[in-house]
Amino acid sequence: MITRELGESNESDAKYRGLLEAAPDAMVVVNQDGEIVLLNVQAEKQFGYRRDELVGQKVKNIIPEGFAERLIADALRSAEDALAQQIGTGIELTGRRKDGSGFPIEIMLSPLESAEGVLVTAAIRDITKRKKAEANLLQKVEELNRSNEELEQFAYIASHDLQEPLRMVASYTQLLSRRYKGQLDSDADDFIAFAVDGASRMQRLIQDLLAYSRAGTKAKHLFDTSSEEALQQALVNLRGAIEESQAVVTHDPLPNVLADEMQLIQVFQNLIGNAIKYQNPGVPRVHISAAKNDEMKWIFSVRDNGLGIDSQYFEKIFGMFQRLHKREEFAGTGIGLAICKKIVERHGGRISVESQLGHGSTFRFALAGSERES
Amino acid sequence: MRAIQADGRPMEVLLIEDSAGDVRLTQEAFRIADPSIHLHVVSDGKEAMAFLKNEAAHVHAPRPDIILLDLNLTKMDGCEVLAHIKSNDNLKTIPTMILTTSEAEADVVRSYRLQANCYLNKPAQWDAFESLVKSINDFWLTKVKLPQPSHVE
Repeated sequence: MITRELGESNESDAKYRGLLEAAPDAMVVVNQDGEIVLLNVQAEKQFGYRRDELVGQKVKNIIPEGFAERLIADALRSAEDALAQQIGTGIELTGRRKDGSGFPIEIMLSPLESAEGVLVTAAIRDITKRKKAEANLLQKVEELNRSNEELEQFAYIASHDLQEPLRMVASYTQLLSRRYKGQLDSDADDFIAFAVDGASRMQRLIQDLLAYSRAGTKAKHLFDTSSEEALQQALVNLRGAIEESQAVVTHDPLPNVLADEMQLIQVFQNLIGNAIKYQNPGVPRVHISAAKNDEMKWIFSVRDNGLGIDSQYFEKIFGMFQRLHKREEFAGTGIGLAICKKIVERHGGRISVESQLGHGSTFRFALAGSERES
Repeated sequence: MRAIQADGRPMEVLLIEDSAGDVRLTQEAFRIADPSIHLHVVSDGKEAMAFLKNEAAHVHAPRPDIILLDLNLTKMDGCEVLAHIKSNDNLKTIPTMILTTSEAEADVVRSYRLQANCYLNKPAQWDAFESLVKSINDFWLTKVKLPQPSHVE
């Protein structure tokens, strides 16, 4: 057989043979008829055959599908073309061992010009481990997604269902207070007042928890949104707080961005609400602006002249239930900035703060612009 | 404001509500709004239909001037009750208001499709609850001209 002579016919063939044996992968050389011409010791091991059991046999015996078919296709092209096409491209197929068992392989083909015509060298790698790792990773990702979804669902349902009994506690303690204040003793009045206050606070907490869990589940469809209109709506929602504090809120012209409008309103509302709340005596001043960064995203800034934040808390303030002040100083649940962070991140952006204690704060967040920019 | 019919008869209100806490809250609020109002309470949809059709234990039940209906009921849910009321020629003229904790837009739309006369959320605070019941009294039982039971078949 001519094929059998390949390895011994001349010096360059011998060199080639040496190269094959040195390769870490199984190497199989096949001719245009799909017959195995040459193989290395790795191939023997991988497929469980002795060399003489494979040489001269159809490659289909060890790679049932996808290889022989490619040889036919390659035969119609010049060796150079084929070389250019196939080099470095891994093809995932299934190998079959002598005992009939299958295993996943990745093969890399390269044509080899020889006296007998174009031969094809196939480097065959057993990718059982990689496939297992991939499947494992995929499963882990799926599990993680599922558990995340479940957690969000749980937070939503828990807070939603908690509202009902809490409404009873709040309503009836308030009714007690309305009807019996001053008619029992002063201890009773105190106790009822604490119960009323506790229930009201828990209601706000649950409202905020619900808003937080909604922020995670809803930001799926982003639309071309006027951030200026979102800001206006946030200011309408904050009207009470703005009037009460006599805050002066100003802004530059703001762009259109890709956003969930309700959520953008919420971000503005929380940031401006904080800017007005955490204030020194005097007139709160808040300014909102936007500038494009080098990644073509819009960076929004909400700058205030308020109390400012110590740099050690810059990360902490965006966490859940994180508060820097006592309830007696400033009311709040400590979820507002966590909601902002979640919303901005779901929009593919980041939120950060720059501040100096006593010199106001500037909160910045990035959003992608929309094609139709104003 | 005091809600009394032209013939001096007190206003009859039917509350269809299965939560004892909400029943009592509504009773307290109506007592403050107008103690002369007769507030009847049934706790599920089946009993509500029996009341409205004067069946079983409700043979002598008066025809309500308005109905307050919770959506979340056992046996027959609020929307089913609403559908029954609004598809009954005799009952469909009774203003029926939904009083529920559900803020779901789907429930709002479904209720109005079924001809609810208005959709109200149960307030989370007593003061707001009290003022809501007062509004119901001021509007539906005082300002609104209701059909007289004698003229209804």
